Amino acid sequence: MLGFLSARQTGLEDPLRLRRAESTRRVLGLELNKDRDVERIHGGGINTLDIEPVEGRYMLSGGSDGVIVLYDLENSSRQSYYTCKAVCSIGRDHPDVHRYSVETVQWYPHDTGMFTSSSFDKTLKVWDTNTLQTADVFNFEETVYSHHMSPVSMKHCLVAVGTRGPKVQLCDLKSGSCSHILQGHRQEILAVSWSPRYDYILATASADSRVKLWDVRRASGCLITLDQHNGKKSQAVESANTAHNGKVNGLCFTSDGLHLLTVGTDNRMRLWNSSNGENTLVNYGKVCNNSKKGLKFTVSCGCSSEFVFVPYGSTIAVYTVYSGEQITMLKGHYKTVDCCVFQSNFQELYSGSRDCNILAWVPSLYEPVPDDDETTTKSQLNPAFEDAWSSSDEEG
Amino acid sequence: MQKWFSAFDDAIIQRQWRANPSRGGGGVSFTKEVDTNVATGAPPRRQRVPGRACPWREPIRGRRGARPGGGDAGGTPGETVRHCSAPEDPIFRFSSLHSYPFPGTIKSRDMSRKRHHLIPETFGVKRRRKRGPVESDPLRGEPGSARAAVSELMQLFPRGLFEDALPPIVLRSQVYSLVPDRTVADRQLKELQEQGEIRIVQLGFDLDAHGIIFTEDYRTRVLKACDGRPYAGAVQKFLASVLPACGDLSFQQDQMTQTFGFRDSEITHLVNAGVLTVRDAGSWWLAVPGAGRFIKYFVKGRQAVLSMVRKAKYRELLLSELLGRRAPVVVRLGLTYHVHDLIGAQLVDCISTTSGTLLRLPET
Repeated sequence: MLGFLSARQTGLEDPLRLRRAESTRRVLGLELNKDRDVERIHGGGINTLDIEPVEGRYMLSGGSDGVIVLYDLENSSRQSYYTCKAVCSIGRDHPDVHRYSVETVQWYPHDTGMFTSSSFDKTLKVWDTNTLQTADVFNFEETVYSHHMSPVSMKHCLVAVGTRGPKVQLCDLKSGSCSHILQGHRQEILAVSWSPRYDYILATASADSRVKLWDVRRASGCLITLDQHNGKKSQAVESANTAHNGKVNGLCFTSDGLHLLTVGTDNRMRLWNSSNGENTLVNYGKVCNNSKKGLKFTVSCGCSSEFVFVPYGSTIAVYTVYSGEQITMLKGHYKTVDCCVFQSNFQELYSGSRDCNILAWVPSLYEPVPDDDETTTKSQLNPAFEDAWSSSDEEG
Repeated sequence: MQKWFSAFDDAIIQRQWRANPSRGGGGVSFTKEVDTNVATGAPPRRQRVPGRACPWREPIRGRRGARPGGGDAGGTPGETVRHCSAPEDPIFRFSSLHSYPFPGTIKSRDMSRKRHHLIPETFGVKRRRKRGPVESDPLRGEPGSARAAVSELMQLFPRGLFEDALPPIVLRSQVYSLVPDRTVADRQLKELQEQGEIRIVQLGFDLDAHGIIFTEDYRTRVLKACDGRPYAGAVQKFLASVLPACGDLSFQQDQMTQTFGFRDSEITHLVNAGVLTVRDAGSWWLAVPGAGRFIKYFVKGRQAVLSMVRKAKYRELLLSELLGRRAPVVVRLGLTYHVHDLIGAQLVDCISTTSGTLLRLPET
């Protein structure tokens, strides 16, 4: 590290190299830390998490009890032991709360004044963060599995919604109604994701084993249907291109938008070139996937070799994206992990699972040398860890 | 680019860096400590993790495996450990796990963590160190490790069981068990396929299970099998024209009739000969004549070996113990053959322990 610092100082190396090296080192050291906790509010499993892209400070979580909670991740106390507190929540007593399980929440990409949530009660609700009221509600005929709003677009405010029906609906926030429908899939849409590189490119994954890339401005069908065999004629003529040999559960673009990762119930994860739809044939091995609905996984951002964090049963598996090597399995949850998000400013990972917990995985580096005694008069220990016995003979 | 780093920094990394126990055959795991008193300006080269043979990365020499190749003096499986040579560099010294120069926390690491491979890369040390154990293994000193793995695995195939009528078949999952990086293995197998050295054949029982056969073996066996039969002509034409030209697993109707000029009757001959298997209306898989028996033995044997692990207490078995057991009658292809396949297909988890490699059924 000192070598990197001196090289950066003397100008031998690009400043970005130091940043990426340190980010990678921190990601490689992710583990559970007794000093970091997330307050437990949910009474049911946690289906979705999202961290706002502007500051990386606030996190939304949606649970299978319909509750949405907003956490503040920033550590403003001077102590190392910190619990991420819930700032506010939309609980069961709120008049507009979702009736069934919340499947996806997402912050409005440009500021934290608004967020959207979609649920099994066939609605997509748009919330105002400051007043915690619904600003708008979109109703659908089928249960909503997933929705996503483009993180980079300045030109449109479309929210892509994937429901149990085979049509992808695009809802416009400005006008308050569905603007158009993308047809092409044959079964339910389990995941949708906008490209972080282009305004109008959308990827959708469906239970019919297909992943389609769309340009939403185009009137005719999809741009590309991803084919795991790369167009070789090893499939019979009738069956069209499939991305996986089972349902496709999860989609994630890499942070530069050039590659797309998909996971399917055939226990495979595939990496695709998002510009021509080619399967890069990187082999990650068996990525266990038993989820009947979507699986939300995430990719790191800002490291020298990007990592993908995939929920794997009750653990989280970490792989390098481009070489397929498994780095580690993060163990800590008691039940199946459903979602995880990566905070790229501090290289932290937050994961939510069916055991109603959100765990924070924090880079573990060497502990700082303790300060001199006069500055630390108060105990550094969490009161829960302090001894309760007293050595005196009297009671109490 | 800086290729060295200070001793201070190195000590921080060393605490997280240990010889990856999952690659060690024995229980020897140690970390390299940096003597912080020796502040040096000399570039401290990080000593390579030695080429300790992973027990399953060599073909497992079973004690009672059916090997027509005869009794090589096989070493006991799971116990070959190569210790690295003592480094000349005075900075590094090996010490036990429990002594650290810093009073930091000793964090226990999951055995599957191989992330220290990337730390050297991040800090500029050559990435090829990650391939170290594979390349420095004297048993397999070839640069193309998938090729070498395939040759070694072919030795495990019991030729005598099929009276030499079947070419030796190796599975892709077995290659994965010998070559640690799957993407690299896939790429190398694809290269071999494009060069025409091997054929990949779809074995019918699983979409993912691909059999690998040397082209020469395949050709000789098929010719021998169809000798004197009425379909010999069609088969010879197929072997001469289609096989060198098209390296795919399957063939389509229009490809066969137009590109290669086969008539329908000839295609029927090929199916009767066992060279093609019907897959759909108008498409066929490439097949090995007589492979049905092999597939039957393979599927039964795989289930039998898996059930051996399943019935064990805690659903886990030491590799050495598994190979030392008597194979059930159903297992005709040899325990080592099946164990390679199970490990590569990730049907069992491989955990390295102080007593050797442990095979455990995954919970999911």
